Amino acid sequence: MKLAADRLLGFMLIGLAAFVAVQAINLEIPFSYEPVGPRAFPLGLAILLAGLSLVLVLRPGEDGHWPTGPLALKLVLVLALLLTYAILFIRLGFVPTSLLVVAALARLFGASWAKAWITGIALAVGSYLLFTSGLGIGLPTGTWLGAII
Amino acid sequence: MFDFLIEGFGVALTPLNLGLAFLGALLGTLFGALPGIGPINGIAILMPLAYTLGLPAESALILLAGIYTGAEYGGRMSSILLNVPGDAGAVMTTLDGHPLAKKGLAGPALGLSAVSSFVGATIAILGLTLFAPLLAEVAVMFGPAEFFALMVFAFSSMSVMMGKDPIKTAIGAVLGVLIATVGVDSGTGVMRFTFGLPELYDGIDFVVMIIGLFAISEILLMLEHANRDDVDSELPPLGRVFVSIKEILFCKGAMLRSSLIGFIIGVLPGTGASVAGAVAYTTEKRLSDKEGTFGHGDMRGLAAPEAANNASAAGSFVPMLTLGIPGSGTTAVLLGALMLYNITPGPMMFTERPEVAGGLIASLYIGNLVLLALNLPLAGVFARVLTIPRWVLVPAIAILAFVGVYQLHSDLTAIYLMLIIGVFGYLLRKLGFSLAPVILGYVLGGLMEQNLRRALSISGGDVGILWQSGISLGLWIAAAALLVLPWLLPKLLPNRRQEAPIEDD
Repeated sequence: MKLAADRLLGFMLIGLAAFVAVQAINLEIPFSYEPVGPRAFPLGLAILLAGLSLVLVLRPGEDGHWPTGPLALKLVLVLALLLTYAILFIRLGFVPTSLLVVAALARLFGASWAKAWITGIALAVGSYLLFTSGLGIGLPTGTWLGAII
Repeated sequence: MFDFLIEGFGVALTPLNLGLAFLGALLGTLFGALPGIGPINGIAILMPLAYTLGLPAESALILLAGIYTGAEYGGRMSSILLNVPGDAGAVMTTLDGHPLAKKGLAGPALGLSAVSSFVGATIAILGLTLFAPLLAEVAVMFGPAEFFALMVFAFSSMSVMMGKDPIKTAIGAVLGVLIATVGVDSGTGVMRFTFGLPELYDGIDFVVMIIGLFAISEILLMLEHANRDDVDSELPPLGRVFVSIKEILFCKGAMLRSSLIGFIIGVLPGTGASVAGAVAYTTEKRLSDKEGTFGHGDMRGLAAPEAANNASAAGSFVPMLTLGIPGSGTTAVLLGALMLYNITPGPMMFTERPEVAGGLIASLYIGNLVLLALNLPLAGVFARVLTIPRWVLVPAIAILAFVGVYQLHSDLTAIYLMLIIGVFGYLLRKLGFSLAPVILGYVLGGLMEQNLRRALSISGGDVGILWQSGISLGLWIAAAALLVLPWLLPKLLPNRRQEAPIEDD
């Protein structure tokens, strides 16, 4: 049996279905007058999911194109950047974090260093003004600022 | 009978709502024109902002619906000029639109597609005005069993019509419904799949889900689009954006037929603009392509999918407003947006909240006129949007996504969840899944379970109630017929050209 992407997915989904089923069965249900409790629906879905996934395992489709080499590395870098954005969003504040992340993202998407920095400054400052003064949305200014002052 | 429309125009013509309809049309055209940002992404990005600004329900809906219809107009720009569909609805537009631009007829092609879009949308909005109240009157008789059967019908119609792989469409829908079960069970107060995380008690937030699934996964996908080679990067000379009466008359048959096809497909639950465009194009090709000019820049081959995808956008409001069952992925998002306002669309909406239903329909009339007025003279300006480089576009999407989710609760958990959902969405799309079924399942899942449990409570646990009434039995039969039909009539379904990275609306 060839290991196709769809087959792998099918097995994973069957695993998910089993997990859902076990979780649903283990729910502790207080007494209720309803004939159908909170168990039945997820259980039914798990059975349906398992059945459909079995079809996927038996009859997988084409694999599609997955990023390899430099492109895969870039993909990981973009993800890491987004994660960094999330981690620093509150601590460092909106403007500095956005500036750094935007510049790095722009660079990853093919901008020159100069263009990347200009994009970073313009987008970070521009969107901060738009959101806070224009739309009245509060954005984090960063915890470090308070520490200095 | 049309009281709702009169009240609706009263709502839609207030300065605020008129301005929002205009803004929605403008932003929608821009979002549609930008490759990769379709109507769903546009709505996903702007919905949290509309919510934060404290817009009333009808105003928010007018803005978001304007973006939806605008994006169907804007999608043609990059299809015609660059051979890249701006959104899924515009895939078929590339087939004859781009050859026309290569022949130096970019201006007339843009003009004709704007007129076709207008014709398609107008016919479908008229259809919406006529049929929605009638359907709502029928739907008032629906009980929980009928609604449950209707949702099953919606999912089976979607599995058959959408994407190339019915199994994956069905799996996507089941996954969406499963995601909807996360959180406190409304019937008993039991926590399901929350893993002790308080953030999950209310379920996975709608905004987090939409932005993660669409905007974040789009950022990851755009990285790969950046080096595709079947794409023209240079804009062809536009010329004058102008369309002659002669050309419109030449295409009138194609426009009218495709508008009807688009409207009907739009009304069918679960099927959206890409299916409408494909069916209209193949039908028109079969009827009119006597000299084999389709695919080489035939005006009719451009008019047909453009009329159809705009007609289907308006048509998909019919089941959403009357039954609470979205006709497309984008209306599923709009439905979720309405639920944020504690409005559950359904048959009672025309009588209980006529300002929302009527206001929306009236604003579609206004928005459609605005779109025609914007798109004919300003096509050149919108075309310039296409030259915005990805290295500006992608960071801008990232900022909008992060701010949109952050302003919900001002904490980071939602942002991490958004990123996880984004990776999940990316993997699904790479594996050939369409995201529209996932979102439809997620939006309808809660209602589906409620209706099922309510029906069984009424019958005291007897499942027979699910197919007892004529309406629900008819819906079960229709759902089963839809699933069997493709095997019986394989030639009925046209070959759909659909590329993996393009997301359905």
